[in-house]
Amino acid sequence: MLFSRISRIQRTSFNGCGWLLSHRPDNRHQFFRSESPRSCTDSTAQKVLGCREFFSWGLPALHGFRHKIHHQSSSIVEEQEDPFSLVADELSLVANRLRSMVVAEVPKLASAAEYFFKMGVEGKRFRPTVLLLMATALNVSIPQPFPSEPVDALSKELRARQQCIAEITEMIHVASLLHDDVLDDADTRRGIGSLNFVMGNKLAVLSGDFLLSRACVALASLKNTEVVSLLAKVVEHLVTGETMQMTTTSEQRCSMEYYMQKTYYKTASLISNSCKAIALLAGQTAEVAILAYEYGRNLGLAYQLIDDVLDFTGTSASLGKGSLSDIRHGIITAPILFAMEEFPQLCAVVDQGFDDPANVDLALEYLGKSRGIQRTRELAMKHANVAAEAIDSLPESDDEDVRKSRRALVDLTHRVITRTK
Amino acid sequence: MVVAEVPKLASAAEYFFKMGVEGKRFRPTVLLLMATALNVSIPQPFPSEPVDALSKELRARQQCIAEITEMIHVASLLHDDVLDDADTRRGIGSLNFVMGNKLAVLSGDFLLSRACVALASLKNTEVVSLLAKVVEHLVTGETMQMTTTSEQRCSMEYYMQKTYYKTASLISNSCKAIALLAGQTAEVAILAYEYGRNLGLAYQLIDDVLDFTGTSASLGKGSLSDIRHGIITAPILFAMEEFPQLCAVVDQGFDDPANVDLALEYLGKSRGIQRTRELAMKHANVAAEAIDSLPESDDEDVRKSRRALVDLTHRVITRTK
Repeated sequence: MLFSRISRIQRTSFNGCGWLLSHRPDNRHQFFRSESPRSCTDSTAQKVLGCREFFSWGLPALHGFRHKIHHQSSSIVEEQEDPFSLVADELSLVANRLRSMVVAEVPKLASAAEYFFKMGVEGKRFRPTVLLLMATALNVSIPQPFPSEPVDALSKELRARQQCIAEITEMIHVASLLHDDVLDDADTRRGIGSLNFVMGNKLAVLSGDFLLSRACVALASLKNTEVVSLLAKVVEHLVTGETMQMTTTSEQRCSMEYYMQKTYYKTASLISNSCKAIALLAGQTAEVAILAYEYGRNLGLAYQLIDDVLDFTGTSASLGKGSLSDIRHGIITAPILFAMEEFPQLCAVVDQGFDDPANVDLALEYLGKSRGIQRTRELAMKHANVAAEAIDSLPESDDEDVRKSRRALVDLTHRVITRTK
Repeated sequence: MVVAEVPKLASAAEYFFKMGVEGKRFRPTVLLLMATALNVSIPQPFPSEPVDALSKELRARQQCIAEITEMIHVASLLHDDVLDDADTRRGIGSLNFVMGNKLAVLSGDFLLSRACVALASLKNTEVVSLLAKVVEHLVTGETMQMTTTSEQRCSMEYYMQKTYYKTASLISNSCKAIALLAGQTAEVAILAYEYGRNLGLAYQLIDDVLDFTGTSASLGKGSLSDIRHGIITAPILFAMEEFPQLCAVVDQGFDDPANVDLALEYLGKSRGIQRTRELAMKHANVAAEAIDSLPESDDEDVRKSRRALVDLTHRVITRTK
């Protein structure tokens, strides 16, 4: 099975996929997301994208990746710094710490918990990238009347605490993936066997709990009760979102409002609240914290909306070339919801369900006649712009690192929209 | 606290809390008694109103610990039941049997997340640490039980470690949390912890005995549920020290009822049951001593609660079901 299950695409779109770097004639480097690392080995796909460099987080080529990116970046006009390369070294630091944080006494539990953190399968690490960039972007420059040593120590400590947020966020995220895979009877995740498939549902549920508890302990160690509250709320949102998806009534299934709420819970809440946590740890004002939150929230929503579109369009601009995984699992996403506003008859089709492939074709037909895809893109762009504005609204800074990170964060809002896979 | 937006989740989460099936509520009882037992009397030079408000707030926070503890406990039950394919729990259909594994996993997650939020609201990161550690211990204990090698299965040390994780950690760390919220010293917090730990261990050891003896003093009248599931508990472990041949029987497993009978035979000839009771009593005494070691108090409510806590250590030993 080439394409991953729906609930994972829905919420976990940040992970589970490899990235392809394409050499385009205009020398602009663009990231394309592949549905599954295995599809990357499809030479047809490679030809279509003109990809010569192939890397996936699921392969040993991982190590080569960073070097390749650095090499590529140096040939671009300096304006466009690659967001991922800015934090690449720090990311590996975070990853190592993460691996040591999930070590457990009981061998089986240890191997289960480490399963998704071992080298090569950490996913795209999109979230930690955003969080580390945000940390730099919110750097408050400290006046230095005295020798800088104590200040450096303070900065180092702050940075460590912010890296901890990135680690915690990943643990919470992986814990929810582990449980979701049990819920979905999923076979694969991130290009390898899902944990429940490899080790059984029992261990997958337990490992998820274990990661969650480790995340809580790490949270507590930050000794910031507001941050603890924020991320505890995220855990609740993840569960609520998953439940909303599992237990939708047919009325709710046709509601854009319900869908956006669920999308916030499942996808955007984690990134938005952890961005806010980064701001709080940095001792920023409430206004700045809200801006960080808004960046994360809108970035996450934009990402998910484009994800919805790509599920229909895939690599082609036309319909039906995508994996259609959402609709086949009966998950009604933004393009269809918009189409239903123009063609109420589509509701009846949706109610019947999509076990019958004829219904899928029918829905695609309506979708094609409607402005569903376009309106979804427009909405995604709206959110991406709001995210970029949030960064632009941050208090001015002269620090070059700060400005670089902010440009990178804005750049991410563009990449999220323009990606075609 | 377990009311949820999504109706299915709400009914799942409330499943074990609805009136009549809350279980014996042993843990909350201990915690509330401990809260009173550790009441620091505040000198009252001024009208008692502000002090009362403070006390009320503290009490509310300690009650919150009791609620959080129950949520964590039920969440682990829900997840354990998924794991064990158990059909019944607390005399009614287990949730996974009734609503499917998925909803059971989700409901457990939901309860855990609510517990996290409630924990966070206490604004005490040490308490958050303590109870997060408990979740980790519960998971570790259950995994230990699931993945025992045959060597570990015969080890008393392994068994006691597992029992601490699965049974005693929750009560001991929540007792300690109660003490911390009350602003008690580290020494008092440790005493509270020791009370919970030893009470929990004593409880489990007697539980092991009752599984063999049931309501009768003789063997084999109990449900024998542990041994039938291949779970080797203290009485058998003690018996194995006297009769090494019992190890071979244990290794074969207990799918064959003949092995169960054989094990019971060895158990009857051994002092396994008695030694388990003795160990339980030892722990119960340590628990009682912890209470007696608490700093003196003149407050009658405090003394009453402490007597009750000591009384519990006796009841845990003498109960016959």
